[in-house]
Amino acid sequence: MADAARPARLRPAGHPGAWLLAALMAAVLLAVVIATRPPLPASPALARTLESILLWQSLIPRAVTALICGASLGLAGMLLQRVLRNPIADASTLGIASGAQLALTVATAYAPALMVLSSEGVALVGGVAAVALVLGLSWRRGLDPMTVVLSGMVVSLVAAAASAAVILAKGEYVLSLFIWGAGSLNQQSWDAVLALGPRLVLGLAAAALLLRPLALLGLDEDVARGLGLALHATRFAVLGIAVWLAASVTAEVGVIGFVGLAAPALARELGARTPRQMLLAAPTLGALLLSITDSAVQLLGSGFNDFAPTGAATALFGGPLLLWLMRRVPPALPPQASDPALRSGRTLRSLRALGPIAVLIAALAALGLLLGRGPGGWELATGSLFSELLPFRGPRLVAAGAAGALLGAAGCLMQRLTANPLAGPEVLGVSAGGGVGLLLALTLLPAGPFAMLGGIAVGSLSVLLVMLLFAARPGIGPQRLLLAGIAMGALCMALVSTALAQGDLRAYMLLVWLSGSTNRAGEIEAWTGLIACVVLIAPVLLAVRWLDMLPLGEATSRSLGLPVQGSRIGLAGLAALMTAVASLLVGPLSLIGLIAPHMARLAGFARSRDQLIASVLIGCGVMILADWLARLVAFPYQMPVGLFAALIGGPYLIWLLNRGGSRQG
Amino acid sequence: MIPTKPSPTRRSALALLAAAGLPLPAQAAGLRIATVDWSVLETLLALDAPPVAAPELLQFREVAVEPAVPASVTDLGLRGTINFELLLLSRPELIFSSSFYVGSEPRLRRIAPVESFSVYAAGRPPYEPALAMTRGIGARLGIAARAERYIAETEAELASLREKLKPYASRPVIPINLGDARHMRVFGGDSLFGEVLKRLGLANAWVDQTSYSAMAPIGLEALARVPDAFIALIPPVPPGAMETLARSAFWNALPNLREGRLLPLASINPYGGLPAARRFARLLTEALLKAGSAHG
Repeated sequence: MADAARPARLRPAGHPGAWLLAALMAAVLLAVVIATRPPLPASPALARTLESILLWQSLIPRAVTALICGASLGLAGMLLQRVLRNPIADASTLGIASGAQLALTVATAYAPALMVLSSEGVALVGGVAAVALVLGLSWRRGLDPMTVVLSGMVVSLVAAAASAAVILAKGEYVLSLFIWGAGSLNQQSWDAVLALGPRLVLGLAAAALLLRPLALLGLDEDVARGLGLALHATRFAVLGIAVWLAASVTAEVGVIGFVGLAAPALARELGARTPRQMLLAAPTLGALLLSITDSAVQLLGSGFNDFAPTGAATALFGGPLLLWLMRRVPPALPPQASDPALRSGRTLRSLRALGPIAVLIAALAALGLLLGRGPGGWELATGSLFSELLPFRGPRLVAAGAAGALLGAAGCLMQRLTANPLAGPEVLGVSAGGGVGLLLALTLLPAGPFAMLGGIAVGSLSVLLVMLLFAARPGIGPQRLLLAGIAMGALCMALVSTALAQGDLRAYMLLVWLSGSTNRAGEIEAWTGLIACVVLIAPVLLAVRWLDMLPLGEATSRSLGLPVQGSRIGLAGLAALMTAVASLLVGPLSLIGLIAPHMARLAGFARSRDQLIASVLIGCGVMILADWLARLVAFPYQMPVGLFAALIGGPYLIWLLNRGGSRQG
Repeated sequence: MIPTKPSPTRRSALALLAAAGLPLPAQAAGLRIATVDWSVLETLLALDAPPVAAPELLQFREVAVEPAVPASVTDLGLRGTINFELLLLSRPELIFSSSFYVGSEPRLRRIAPVESFSVYAAGRPPYEPALAMTRGIGARLGIAARAERYIAETEAELASLREKLKPYASRPVIPINLGDARHMRVFGGDSLFGEVLKRLGLANAWVDQTSYSAMAPIGLEALARVPDAFIALIPPVPPGAMETLARSAFWNALPNLREGRLLPLASINPYGGLPAARRFARLLTEALLKAGSAHG
């Protein structure tokens, strides 16, 4: 554990100065919020009544809600980190928030009666399902922290894609869902306090009862078991409490990211070590942190407008915090060496075996071009109809295929570079950066296809540049680079969510991009994709030797004469550029980059060059198929292709990981 | 309008539609119009020149409600992802677009000539542009007289409603959407609703800034700043929100609520054209008169 590894930093648990300062700051800010609230334009008597209603039914409940939510999230984060022995676990990194959001989105759109009955129940189901999925995905790898967080990322992405598609399909309930997605603490009653307060007390009491097992959970598994601890039962009990608290908060006020991450981390910095100390310190710090943030967004806003939804604001400070916390993450074992999931192909296939795949892709492409639905039902386009439809079907097919190929290559590169089977382009945060670029372009420039295209490209490249600077720092291992990507992605998505919550024209454009549709692809997009394929994938083929060596570890690679830092940065740059172009074409959420390399390996293409080419072809084929299905399933309404690919890929990935693990035993 | 001898493509297109069992569009003799924008769709329907194809008709019938969409109009799918293939097969001779869809225009141009209108732009009130769009459509389709008549009807209706609303002119109105039980979207002076209020002689209670004509999300506590105002509540109302509000001490303590100044309206398209403006004016007037008679 990180705690044990840093005995030099041990300090007495009090640190009264810092505690006092934080509490004082929260109190002063709250006082300023109350003192500076705008005057009401009404007759003095009426104004007095309204002032007091506003104070007692809005401002004070909001302040108390902030404290309770912060404390609940702090407690949940502390429990999750303890039980998973993972310093970066919290409700947002484990996918609880996105799972709950998807459940609420689906319920609002298709079963509003459920929402009236119990929105919290709906959110809880979604949160629990997400956590179960995340833990299931990483179970076979012993809940290794990196794998858990990356699985959380995958689950969050699929949930986000599905939410976006549902919102697009239903159109008009957007506002409520976005408010919820960005987490806001506005209150006009004590309902939230009454709902969450007792839960916090119960959660604290239950956690206190589990103090001794909690202390033991920090130890090695064998030691804990030797001391007579029912390991799994205890883990599930603690996990249950944490998920329940986090899901309740998200159901009541929406997604508030990173407080659960920050509070325990700060508590450790302030000297809390034992579970007893943490049990007091983490909720207290969580409460103060959220209170300070919430007061700040109120003070920075004008009149009754908050500067930003509080949940988005916490992500703004949470992203950098995650970066800072990364130094505590224990390095994972290099999975390439030991993981049977990565060596599952019994026969090593050579390049010749790619022939059937190429034929299959050609068949899929022909199907996509010829078979469609028209006003009269299914029809095979031939003759003049074919040549008329070609300008529409052709570019979108090429764009989809090119994006799939680019993502396949990018994913293959990233998995090789980081020696991590769960690396993928979405995870680097480059796609989310493109969203921020698009937001800026929509805000600052007159709307137009080139402005949008340029915005996404500049945003992606800026994030990439930051990531490369970060990667160039000494001692940054492959996992930390990925974590930096997750942090950056969270930061960018916080900005995008804030814009989405406004429900205006920009929000609409962002949503269309986010859901990923090849529908708007024309000649420009098709050529962009094709040229990017040639320009970006060809150089990688020349550098396959690096790909074979890099996963062997830094020392081995260097001894083989490989310029480790330089080759890594070069390949990462190519991978990020591929991601940027692909997100232009099919949106940021497809997961193809994660899945195609796995499929390639599963098919027996294990050597770098073979795997790369196979990933490119498989990515291309899957995306063409997804695009065709997305076009036809709900005709004339079209599903976003990015979502469709994610829906194909997500379940496949889960199956794959479990299959690989079961061979181990 | 279109020349006496139709081009071969058009003839074959009509044959194709007929073969597919689709009814031939009503104005087959005139120009075949398609649109990808709801405010254009409204206007076309109001001018009795229904398009052959338009997007998201299921939602349109729910959100914009009027004018009624004839069954002959082909649904082009979501506004965000127009089904270009179906648009092509609908064989339009002219496509009306709007500033929301600039990104799609290169694709649309492959199908037919595109004419674009910009009713909604940041910081610009939409009423005059909506008038211009109505005139533009009228001129383009050779029904300028009909367009002028519709505009005159609209102005006359607004004027007569303004007359009826004279007794209410002292109180402002705040047009909102509920986001959830804690937040709202407020429509400012540069929104369609704000423009209609001005023409009805009513003040908009929301004087703060807006972005693209509305501001969201705003906490409901902001309603305490406008205790005098009528709250024009425009659907959709999220499921469960009204039930939660009915229990809220804050909500029930608002003078607007206590004195019956909450006006739940039927659904209106907030980004519509003149028909949406008229619908809002009419629904708001009915609601105000009803509230007035109930509270003397």
